[in-house]
Amino acid sequence: MKNKITPPSYSYGKVNNIVPPEASKYVICAKDIVKSFYIGTPNELEILHGMTFNVPKGEFVSIVGQSGSGKSTLMNIIGALDRPTSGSYYLDGIDVSTANDKELSAIRNKQIGFVFQTFNLIARTSALKNIELPMLYGGIPSKQRKERARELLEIVEMSDRAGHMPNELSGGQKQRIAIARAMANDPSIILADEPTGALDSKTGRLVMDLFHKLHREQGKTIVLITHNNELAEETDRIITISDGNIISDTGNRNKLRKEAEE
Amino acid sequence: MGFFENVMLAVSGLRSNKMRAFLTMLGIIIGIGSVIGISTLGSIMENSVMDIFNSQGGANLVGFQITMKDDASRDYIMSDDFMTAEMANDIGERFAEDIDAIALMSGSESGKMTIRRKDYDISLYGVSPGYIKQSMTKLVAGRYVSEKDCEQYRHICVISDKQAKKRFGSERGAIGRSVSLTLSDGTITDLTIVGVYQYQLTAMMSTMVNMMGDDWNSEIYMPYSTFNRMRGVNDDTFYGFNLNTKTGVSAEEFCQKVETYLNSTYYRDNDAVEVMYITAESQMAMIDDVMGMLELAISVIAGISLLVGGIGVMNIMLVSVTERTREIGVRKAMGAPNSAIRTQFIVESMIICLIGGVIGILFGILLGNLAGVIVGTMASPTIGSIALAVGFSMAIGVFFGYYPANKAAKLDPIEALRYE
Repeated sequence: MKNKITPPSYSYGKVNNIVPPEASKYVICAKDIVKSFYIGTPNELEILHGMTFNVPKGEFVSIVGQSGSGKSTLMNIIGALDRPTSGSYYLDGIDVSTANDKELSAIRNKQIGFVFQTFNLIARTSALKNIELPMLYGGIPSKQRKERARELLEIVEMSDRAGHMPNELSGGQKQRIAIARAMANDPSIILADEPTGALDSKTGRLVMDLFHKLHREQGKTIVLITHNNELAEETDRIITISDGNIISDTGNRNKLRKEAEE
Repeated sequence: MGFFENVMLAVSGLRSNKMRAFLTMLGIIIGIGSVIGISTLGSIMENSVMDIFNSQGGANLVGFQITMKDDASRDYIMSDDFMTAEMANDIGERFAEDIDAIALMSGSESGKMTIRRKDYDISLYGVSPGYIKQSMTKLVAGRYVSEKDCEQYRHICVISDKQAKKRFGSERGAIGRSVSLTLSDGTITDLTIVGVYQYQLTAMMSTMVNMMGDDWNSEIYMPYSTFNRMRGVNDDTFYGFNLNTKTGVSAEEFCQKVETYLNSTYYRDNDAVEVMYITAESQMAMIDDVMGMLELAISVIAGISLLVGGIGVMNIMLVSVTERTREIGVRKAMGAPNSAIRTQFIVESMIICLIGGVIGILFGILLGNLAGVIVGTMASPTIGSIALAVGFSMAIGVFFGYYPANKAAKLDPIEALRYE
């Protein structure tokens, strides 16, 4: 996609100069990720036991796991909402595991587009303003924000709902606005947490189709977190986790298939 | 994120919950309103006092009267202690270049005025011609006490316009009417009203006067000779005299000079009584003092109300932060740094206080001028006091908004997103 916006130059404070070579090849480069809670107390609990996986640019990957498998914890780390206890995580070549809170904010703002199960649009704020939100925190001027937001509304086919408040929109419409919002700063990855979980199967289908469209037409890297195997089957690659470990990784099946066909 | 966006955000947040926003503002409205109200009232009073002061040449009006010494050898005044016309004349000649006019007052008595078998409290003054003309009063009907009145011991008097209106219906209607006065020592005398003066100070102080009862404006003037005879003392017995200095003469300096002269010449051997002076300016200063005390008292009340209001704002902001925990989580997920969240809530609290402050200012001006209508003058508070009120209310917003805003800023995004 041709991005009309040149985001203002920003730095993440300390940029780690020693980027491992594989980190620059992949959008997500996670190595030996461990996450523990209640560290130093008798209740210390290790949720993730050292996960290693890489996601190349433009891949549509799903992370599947039952509840309690460590899925949410992994998502929080991928989404730069949290740091791993140990291990390294590079997002588009940026070291997330050592970033401070302010740097994490900037990473979330520029590199990650969140799509939540419960949409999480800001109440009493129009669809357009909701889409503008990440750009607002990204310091993009008002005029450019509006332009970009309208462009995104068009992509998600919601142009006629620009001025509507979230409570005037259906679930499917809300999720489309949320997806447009996730795309606002043209992030490295779109991180979707059960995006169809609160929708009926028909609108859920529409939302999935939209993800496929963004993946296909704009080459977006999408990480879909779900417990629904059917949805996962639609994606390029399925990473299955259980009890804090990766138990299977299909690799990019489409790519493999294509290579096999050749 | 720009300041303007924060303001828009705060305003839309407040609009969604108008009643709550208003109730939150109430403390600030009352606090700021009372500060502005009292300062408006203060400037109204000052204006009207200054008006009278200036129009009557108040700065030139000074008075000398006898008073007991601090270390007096007795606690009563004897007839020898009083001033005499001779003293006034002496002063008039000696300081002629500084003096415009001089008039004597033989004394004052409190008593009752009886009209149609009803009693009203009054203060009676025995004065020489020109005395009333000199004091800060203006004749509205009839005439002043004259030389002839004094020479012939006439039983006449001049009363205030307020009394005339209240007791006789109109100012003119009072002229020629007879009133019966009973003094505190039981002396009864009948006087004919020949003049009505305008009690100017009443206008400005009517609010205070109404609180103190309506006898403030009950000063009645009569010829000093008649007054002295009635009290059984020598004609030539005066309690004090008033004089107008020429313009350009420093009242304070002049008074000190005259006071020293009188005390060293006529009262040097008197071990109980001395002369003291009163200037219109010093009386003005007294009024200012009273106003200052009043302002201080109201300011303390206003301060408490602002404190309570500020705590109310803090309370509501804490509620608001809790209610919007999820929104805060979403904003953080979208990349809002802690500082942006903090600013958002501080601006919101500031806007509450600012709107409250502005309403308070309008409310205060209204209140002050409502009192002004009774007094008969209008005024607006000074730009300085408005700026101070606006600034102060915003400062309250920042001060009491900081803690909730900081709490919001420090929320863990994961926890906040999960909050139900």
